[in-house]
Parts: sequence; C-alpha cells; structure tokens
Amino acid sequence: MSRAIIREDVIPMPNRYRTLLEIPVAMALVMLVVVSTANAYWISTFTSALALALAARGIGVLYGLLGLVSLCQFALIGIGGWMMLRLSHGTGLPFEINVLIAGVTAAGVGVVWGAPALRLKGLYLALVTLMLAGAYQVVISATGFPDGGAGFLGRADATQRLMLERPVIATSNSSYLVYCAIWATGGFMLAEWLRVTKMGRSWAMIRKDDNTARSVGVNLLTYKIIAFAFAGFLAGVGGALLAGGVGQLDGRAFAASESLFLFALSVVAGVYHWYGALIAGLLLRAVPSLLTDFEINGYVAIIFYGSALMHALITAPRGIAGQISNLIGKIRTIAIPGTGRQAL
Amino acid sequence: MIHIENLTVQFGAVKPLDNLNVTLDARICGLIGPNGAGKTTLLNVLSGFITPVSGRIDVDGTDLLSLSPIQRVGLGLRRSFQTEQVVEDLSVYDNVLSLLDHVGVRGEEAAGQVSRALHFAGLAGIASQLGGELNLYQRRMLEIARALVGGPRIVLFDEPGAGMTENEGQTLRETLLAIPDEFGPQVLLIDHDVDLISATCEKTLVLDFGQYLTYGPTASVLADDIVRKAYLGME
Repeated sequence: MSRAIIREDVIPMPNRYRTLLEIPVAMALVMLVVVSTANAYWISTFTSALALALAARGIGVLYGLLGLVSLCQFALIGIGGWMMLRLSHGTGLPFEINVLIAGVTAAGVGVVWGAPALRLKGLYLALVTLMLAGAYQVVISATGFPDGGAGFLGRADATQRLMLERPVIATSNSSYLVYCAIWATGGFMLAEWLRVTKMGRSWAMIRKDDNTARSVGVNLLTYKIIAFAFAGFLAGVGGALLAGGVGQLDGRAFAASESLFLFALSVVAGVYHWYGALIAGLLLRAVPSLLTDFEINGYVAIIFYGSALMHALITAPRGIAGQISNLIGKIRTIAIPGTGRQAL
Repeated sequence: MIHIENLTVQFGAVKPLDNLNVTLDARICGLIGPNGAGKTTLLNVLSGFITPVSGRIDVDGTDLLSLSPIQRVGLGLRRSFQTEQVVEDLSVYDNVLSLLDHVGVRGEEAAGQVSRALHFAGLAGIASQLGGELNLYQRRMLEIARALVGGPRIVLFDEPGAGMTENEGQTLRETLLAIPDEFGPQVLLIDHDVDLISATCEKTLVLDFGQYLTYGPTASVLADDIVRKAYLGME
C-alpha cells in the first residue's frame, strides 16, 4: 500500500461535464423528430410536456439530489403561469423577460414554501407542501388567472378575455415547441451544471445525512434554500411557457392532485437523470393524449400512473431513465470494453 | 491539544457525559469504554452536533464550544462516523473534494490535496469510481482520505476498523500511525479493537457511564485493574 511514501502524482479530475454536451444534442434530435413527424395535436402535447418537464427537473433536484419530497411543484407552475399572464397583459415587457420574472417569482414562493424543509423531512415535509398546494388550489379557483382585465387580479369579463401573445420568433405551434425546447435545454443544462459542481456535491452530502453534510462544512440552510429556489424557478419558467402555449390558463387545472401526479411520474421516469424529467413530462401529457387517440377515457391514465409508480418502486427505483442509463452502459461496455458505468 | 473542563451532557435524567475533565495531549489518543460510556457523545460534542449543558473545550487556545459545526470544519476539525458515510452517487474523488469545497481550497491546490489523500489511503487507482461501488474497506479508507484534506488539526475516527478483515486491519493501523507525520493533525480514535488501540495510540482515555475513569499511556491504561474490570471484563 502507500503508507510511508506519498506520491504527489496529481490524479486527473473525473470528466463531469460530458452530460452538459449530451443535453443539447439529445434535445435537438428529439425536436427534429417531433417537429418533422407530429401533427398539430401532438405538437401542442409535446409543448406542454416540455413545460412540465422543467418542473419535473426541479423535483429531480429536490428529491434526486437532496432527498426532499416537495408536493407543491405543480402549484409553483401555476404561480409562474399567473405571473406570466399578469405581466404580459399588464406590461409591455418582452416575452423572455416575463418568463424570467415568472421564474424568479415562483423561486421566491418556492423558498417560502420550502422553509419547513429546514426543520422537516420525509412524510411531514411532504404533507406540509401538499397542503400548500391545496391552499393554492383554493385561491386560484376563487381568483382565476389574469386574462386581460384591470386591477391586480387582471380578470376581464367573458367578452373581453385576451389570449397571451407568443414571442414574435415563435408564433406558430412548431416554432413555439422549438422555442420551449430551447428554454428546457437551458434549464436542464443549468440543473446538470449545478449537479456536477460544488452545489451538487453539497446537495449529495445533505441527502446522505445532515450531520455528514455538517461534518464537511455544508451550510444546510443555504444549500436547501438554493435548491428550493432553483426548483421553484424551473417550475415558474415551465408555468410561463405553458401559459404561452395555451394562451390562457384555467384555475381548475391546478388542483393539488396534479402536484402528486407530477411527483409520482417524476419518480417513475427517474429523478437521477436529466432525461427523466423529459420522460415525466411526456408521461403526464402524452399518456392521456394517447388514450384519447385510442378513444379511451383520459382519466384511465391515473390507473396507469399508479401501476407505473408501484412498478418503479418495486423493480426500478432509479426509474425509466435509470434503466435506459444502465442499458447505455451495457452497450458501451460491449462496444468499447473498459467504459462501463462511470462517475459523472 | 484538546483541553476538556467540567463537560456535562444531559438528556432529561440521563447524563451521557458527566463532569468530564481531561487534557488529551498525545498525537494519537485512544478513547475506549463499554457501550454507553459516552465515547460517541464526546465526538458529537467536539463536532458541534450536541450542545453540552456545561463545560469548556479548548483546542490550542480556541474555545471550541463557541464555534458552529461549520466553523469547526474551518478550524480543521474532521471526523468519520460509526456507520460509514460515503456518498454513493459521488465519485471517490468528489467524495474527498466535497470537504475542500467548504474550506476555501480550489483549483490546482484542491487537486493536489485530493490526490495526496487518495494516494495515502491507497485509493488513487479508483478515484473515478462511484462511492456506491466500493467495498466496506474502501469506504472506510475513503472516509479517512476525506478527513485528511484542507489542513486538518484534529481528526476524530469513530470505529474506523469496524467490519475489516485482519489484513485490512493491519493496513488501517499503518495508515493511522502515519497520519500525524504526514498530515499533522492530532487523532482521536474510538474503537472496540483493543489491539488496534494499543498498536496505534500513545495515550488512551477510558470512559465509563459518562465519567472519566483514567487517562494515560495506552499500555499502562490497558493494564490498569479498574479498566480491565470495567471495560475488558476481566477480574
């Protein structure tokens, strides 16, 4: 062994940034296939799926990296959507600025809602955040989303309702899908970059154990707050893009149960890989659409979600993305011996 | 040097540490005692995870109890845990680097320190492997490597040899013995393996039901009748 002699050879740092390059390439390929093959209905479905995928990535950060269960992320999508609609109807700010402000607003709310996580974990945190999602459901059902009216709430009467205008570079459905894909790619890359840097290492330490994290100098308060803010930001951006895709939002679509579905499907899809979020978004939006295509009631999707969650928890805790990752690892090992599963 | 004065920890009616007074002045100090003696509690107090009801701990002139756990890491306090705490999804390299992230060591200096610690612990060849792929011995050695970066001044090891084979235990002994010379810190070692304690520790503190039993050169402590009766179960 190496007891008395210490060799000063510097070990090369593991290549952590490979995934950062994989994300835009994979997203570009997916978009190329979708835009060239999908009809208007499926283009719209994929647009919504991308918006939800951003929120799912936030769940990936909170649950996959820190081990924190937050069941209010769909409500944060709603907050981002509300802010986007309010700003777009009430100000002349560019679409992109509004998206960012919507993200920052949801981040702020995410921090406030995540505050219990500084004391709570596991089931208790899950319950508290679910209740917050329930509170949002009550409020948004009563107030609705802004639709061009005056005042703080921006509510108009039925004859005057305005649709949100899309950015000038993405007015068609296909171009708006690509536009959303660019935002989603940016969000995924940002999350991945955080994962492989000091932030991600600190989050991993917190997931292991609070005292383990403290023993290497991690400030639990700071790093948990940053995680909730980032997850909220992604959800808010997702909500803003969702609003842009549909033109209006319906308060009834933001029930607390949607946050549960989003979390469950994020687990099914895989919270430990960036493309797990993409799969989660697709599961949440594409499965009901697929059932509709086959003239089956879309609510049957709930049975599918429950079965998939049970299957994931029992046989594939790293989700669909984990299974894909393992498959890629095996193919790599066969194709290029010595390059199996590597630390990222 | 760790100077402990009138240290008492109390949970309800239970006192895991009861008016402890001792100065730990050896480069490698053993800490032994039967289960429930307060060994791990003492490590948790030193780490800042438990706040004592009274007492003072002085480390080279610094009042340790006035510092937060994070400030103690900055001071150079390092530790391992009874149950190993390697992060499975981080590489061996990043498990060690995670400490340097928080003590202001970056870039080439960080790479150098991580490399030095991994070479020392015999893990240089598996630096890019995930923590989850390591066996128990490698995990224990990784925890040691993590404790040796960022200018450690006091390193607390809580049963680092638990679960190791005889050969692995021998390597662990050599590793522990080399730490003060190679990295400079004072080592405080808890272990139930009396052979490991006697082979590595210059002095040993014995606790019994939270109270000071004795402290002195390890050989004489282990030969002490009271220690043999209280800890080793010998009449």
